[in-house]
Amino acid sequence: MAQGYLRPRLEALRRHQNPDGGWGYFPGKRSWLEPTAYALLALQKDSESPAWQKGWRLLRSWQRDDGAWQPNGHVPEAHWATALAITLHCANKIHDAAFRKGVDWLVDTSGSETRLFARLFAMVSESPTGHDLKFRGWPWRPGATAWIEPTAHTLVALKKATKQISGSELSRRIVLGEGLILRRRCSDGGWNYGAKAALGIELPSYPETTALALLGLQGSREADLPPALRHAHHLWQDSRSRWSRAWLAISLRSFGAALPEEPESQQPTHDLILTALEALATPEGGHRYFRPDGVTA
Amino acid sequence: MKPCLTRRALLPAAAAAVLVSCQKAAPTPFAGTSPVAVLKAKSYQEDLVAHILTGIFLCGLQVKDKRVVLKPNLVEFDAATSINTDVALVAAALHAFRSLGASSVTIAEGPGHRRDTLGLADEAGYWKGVRNFEDNFVDLNRDDVSPIKNFAGQDQFFFPNTVLAADLIVSMPKMKTHHWAGTTLSMKNFFGLVPGAVYGWPKNTLHYIGIAESIVAINRQFRQTFAIVDGIVGMEGNGPIQGTPKTANVLVFGKDLVAVDATCCRIMGIDPAKIEYLTMSADFGATSEAQIQQRGENPAAVRTDFQLMQQYQSLRLA
Repeated sequence: MAQGYLRPRLEALRRHQNPDGGWGYFPGKRSWLEPTAYALLALQKDSESPAWQKGWRLLRSWQRDDGAWQPNGHVPEAHWATALAITLHCANKIHDAAFRKGVDWLVDTSGSETRLFARLFAMVSESPTGHDLKFRGWPWRPGATAWIEPTAHTLVALKKATKQISGSELSRRIVLGEGLILRRRCSDGGWNYGAKAALGIELPSYPETTALALLGLQGSREADLPPALRHAHHLWQDSRSRWSRAWLAISLRSFGAALPEEPESQQPTHDLILTALEALATPEGGHRYFRPDGVTA
Repeated sequence: MKPCLTRRALLPAAAAAVLVSCQKAAPTPFAGTSPVAVLKAKSYQEDLVAHILTGIFLCGLQVKDKRVVLKPNLVEFDAATSINTDVALVAAALHAFRSLGASSVTIAEGPGHRRDTLGLADEAGYWKGVRNFEDNFVDLNRDDVSPIKNFAGQDQFFFPNTVLAADLIVSMPKMKTHHWAGTTLSMKNFFGLVPGAVYGWPKNTLHYIGIAESIVAINRQFRQTFAIVDGIVGMEGNGPIQGTPKTANVLVFGKDLVAVDATCCRIMGIDPAKIEYLTMSADFGATSEAQIQQRGENPAAVRTDFQLMQQYQSLRLA
C-alpha cells in the first residue's frame, strides 16, 4: 500500500478536526455533516480514539426528531446527507433506534416530482425534463426534485441497511431508485447531475456523478453495468480533476477494478472532502464502506 | 350566533380582496436614473485593467476600503464554446479593484451543476490565469452560511457568509442567451450566491420558487452591487451551456444591475420589456432607455443580434 499517499491525507484530516469534533469543508471553517461523515469514514481505523468518538457524537447530535440529519449545527433542515450518516452507522455496525429512524426517514422521502399533484400535472402536460415519474429517487432536500447524487448515496445507505432492516417498502424504494438512475443515463454512457437532455438536446455526463451512479447501482438486477464500468474507467484515465478521479477510484475499486495508485508526490489540498475521498479511494482506504454487504465486487 | 355568510355578502368582499391584492401587486416604478457604461473591447488581449478602471470611473463607483467579492460565471467547461467568464477579465478586475484601494478582493462562485468547483476553475484556466488563485477564491457552494428572514416566501434562506459580509458584490457574467430565462446576465449570475451545501446541485429550490422570482428576490436582497459583463465573446442560441460563441466586442458596466441587464438586452437585439425578470424588477432598477444614462458607446451603435431559440423569437427587439 502506498502509505506515502495515504498517510499525509489521514494526518491532514486529524490535524484539521475542529474543536467540536467535526470537520468543515475547509480548514478553520464550521463543522458540517458531509465532510464530517467522509472524514470519519476515512479515519475509521481510529474509531476507538477519543478524537474520532468526539466527531461521532457531534454527528449523532445533528439528528432531528423526524429521523433526518441536518447539514450542520446552524441549518435546522432535513438534508440528503442523512444517507451518509446511515452509511457511517453501518460501517460502525451501529443499528440502534437512531439508525432505524434515519432509515425510516429515507424510505419515506422522495423527489417532489413524484407527488400525486405533480404526477397528475405531468399526465396532462409535456414534462420539459422528460423524466419518467414512475421511478422515485431522492432530492438534496425535501420539497425538491430527485437527482443522481443524493439518490446514489441513499441507495448505498439503504442497501447496507437491508442487512438489519427488512421491509417491502425499503426493497421497493431500492428498485425504484435504481430505476431512476438507469433512466437518467446520458447517451454517452455515463451520468450527470440527473438530466440526460434539456429541451430535447442531449447533455453530457460528468465523471464524478458517473462514479456515484455506479455505486448506487451495485447489485442491481436490472442494470447492465459492464459498459458503464468501461466508460467510467475511460473517464478515470482521461480526467485531470482530483475530485473526479477520487470518486471514480472509489467506485471502480468497489467493483473490483485494479487501478494504478496515484503518485505519492501528490500532496493533499485544503479541500477536506477531497482529502477524505482521496484517502478512501486508495486500495486499502475504505472504499468498501460504499459497497453494500453481500454484494461481491 | 354563528355568522351567516351569504353568496351576496361574499361577492363584494371577494371583489374588495381582489382589488386590494391588485393594488399590492403593482409596486411603484423606479423613479431614478442609473448610469451604465458600454466600452468596446476587441479581445481578451487588450488592456482590460484600463477598460475596467474606465468603466468604474464612468459609473461613479467608490471602491476604497470596501470588501469586494468578484462573482464570475463558472458553469461547465467545454473548449468548443464560451460558457464561462473569461479568466483574463477576472484577473484584470482583481488587479483593478486592488489598485483602487479595496480592503479585500475575493473571487467567489458556486456553480449550479458541478460539485468540483476548483476542478472546474482549473479547466476554465483560472488557476493559470489568476496568480495564487486558490488563496483568492471562495467556493460559495461550501462556504459557511447564515440565514436571512423572509426571502421569496421562505421563512428563512441561507446565504454564504462571504457574500453577506461583502460591501460590494461585482457580478461578472458572460453575455448569454438562456433556454429558460431568455437571457442570463448580471442578475441571473447571482444564482451562484446560493449555497449548494444547503440547496444542492442543481439549486432546485430556486426553480420551485420560480426562476424569474428567484432572480428578482436575490437581487432585492443584495443591493451593494456592480456589474462587469463579459460581452467580448458571449453565447447565442441554446445558452447558457450548449449555445455557440458570439463575438460582441463589448464590456458593460453599472451599479444598477437591472439597468445593466436591460442595456445588454438592447445590445443583444432583445427587447428588455419582454424579459420577465426585468419587468418584475422595474420597482428597484431602471429598464427604460429614458432612465438609463448611457456612457461610453451608444448601445444601438454596438448592437449585434444574438441568435435566439425558436421559442424566443418574440423577444427580438424591433
